[in-house]
Amino acid sequence: MADLFDRFAPLMAQRDALLGDGGINPFQVKMDELLSPTEAMIDGRRTILAGTNNYLGLTFSPEALKAAHEALEACGTGTTGSRVANGTYGSHKDLENTLAEFFGKEHAMVFSTGFLANLGILSTLMGPEDYILMDADCHASIYDGVRASQAQIIRFRHNDAADLEKRLARLEGKPGNKLIVIEGIYSMLGDKAPIAEIVAVKKKFTNVYLLSDEAHSLGVLGRYGRGLPEEAGVEDDVDFIVGTFSKSVGTVGGFCVSNHPHFDMLRLVCRAYVFTASLPPSVVVSAIANLKLIKQGGALRARLMRNAEHLHRGLSDLGLKLGSDVSSVIAVVAPDPQVAVAFWRGLIEAGVYVNLALPPATPFGYSLLRASLCAAHTEGQIEEIIAVFATVAARLGLIERPAAKRAAG
Amino acid sequence: MSGAPAETVARLIPLLEPFNKTGAHLSAATRFTEDLNFDSLIVMEFVAAVEDAFDISVPLNILPDVATVGQLAAAIEKILGEEKS
Repeated sequence: MADLFDRFAPLMAQRDALLGDGGINPFQVKMDELLSPTEAMIDGRRTILAGTNNYLGLTFSPEALKAAHEALEACGTGTTGSRVANGTYGSHKDLENTLAEFFGKEHAMVFSTGFLANLGILSTLMGPEDYILMDADCHASIYDGVRASQAQIIRFRHNDAADLEKRLARLEGKPGNKLIVIEGIYSMLGDKAPIAEIVAVKKKFTNVYLLSDEAHSLGVLGRYGRGLPEEAGVEDDVDFIVGTFSKSVGTVGGFCVSNHPHFDMLRLVCRAYVFTASLPPSVVVSAIANLKLIKQGGALRARLMRNAEHLHRGLSDLGLKLGSDVSSVIAVVAPDPQVAVAFWRGLIEAGVYVNLALPPATPFGYSLLRASLCAAHTEGQIEEIIAVFATVAARLGLIERPAAKRAAG
Repeated sequence: MSGAPAETVARLIPLLEPFNKTGAHLSAATRFTEDLNFDSLIVMEFVAAVEDAFDISVPLNILPDVATVGQLAAAIEKILGEEKS
């Protein structure tokens, strides 16, 4: 007899083969106590957090904590309503004004998560006559958003502007608008989009818009933390920027900013905005407080990049295969899912938390130990992460022996 | 879907060869999922190869209705027909 879950049978078998031996389940990690933005108690062990996308370490910023406490007392624990009904408080508008000012754009819309921002914007902007040209490595929320749009979806090869140009050229003369969708930093390997090249391609055609998801680059790239468009000097050529508060901003929520004169129309037609509850005011004021810190956060960004260079050099010197150049995300490529699981368990048992990422959620079918850096990581913590990687990798036979301890600095 | 155009199937088969990890016999009846074990990553690469070989746009939207090489050939014929008109 057919069971509702039969279609998951192959995946369940794969899961059981990989994780069913009673070892720690990488997808059910529980943090019992947060000691700081970079440390938690997991399974009774003090563990360095090196996979939380908390790039600037702002989850405990005194400014955000103070504002959140005050908002909790003043406004309560939640709005119990949609933004278009009873769920818009003064702080929601303040946050939208803060975002518009931060990015130097006319309009800003706040969503309840980054996933909903992508889902809502992409599904609403583009209609059945339109074409979406998306980078093949885009996030699941982008895939779900474009699928819900009814537009024709064309993928181009990851970070390949020439491939995008070829695909846009094939659509020349067809009615309908075209929207290019990219990410500033791709989450799995930490590689950046060649955004200047993509903008140059965009300018060769008419009726083409560009949307960039700055989830992993907000606060990380650019002198003022505005992400890849700022770093590359192409902010005026990016028509829509989508982002999240759940990474460098240190809380939860999503947004979209744009200069399009009719942007506010989306507030009435975007279902992921209209039909969901708004963010609690304590979250909203945390985001405002941390966005201010991000704008002045040059020192935090410098610290983050120093840490990234340190970890990249350390892991690379061990002889491990890394997914990309120095970045706030550093992924070690394991030979297969079995080794990746063993590697991940070795790391967590030695007090280092990173993300385990397996195909098909990864590019090139890679099995990854994905680390993300934090400005709040100390040099000592980075050294410890490298030392633990060395021990576990040597035990698994991935490198010959732990490299001789190098002088710190 | 209409019968698979033999000429288009014949052009698809060499494009499929590099992705044929299971060593399945390639014909109009070959199924992408069951016979070739295609996952989403391989689909991406293969669709890109087809787009470039035929110089057409193959929207992701049509893929749920394409299970076999023959069905893909028919879908390509349809796209080519639309581009001419």
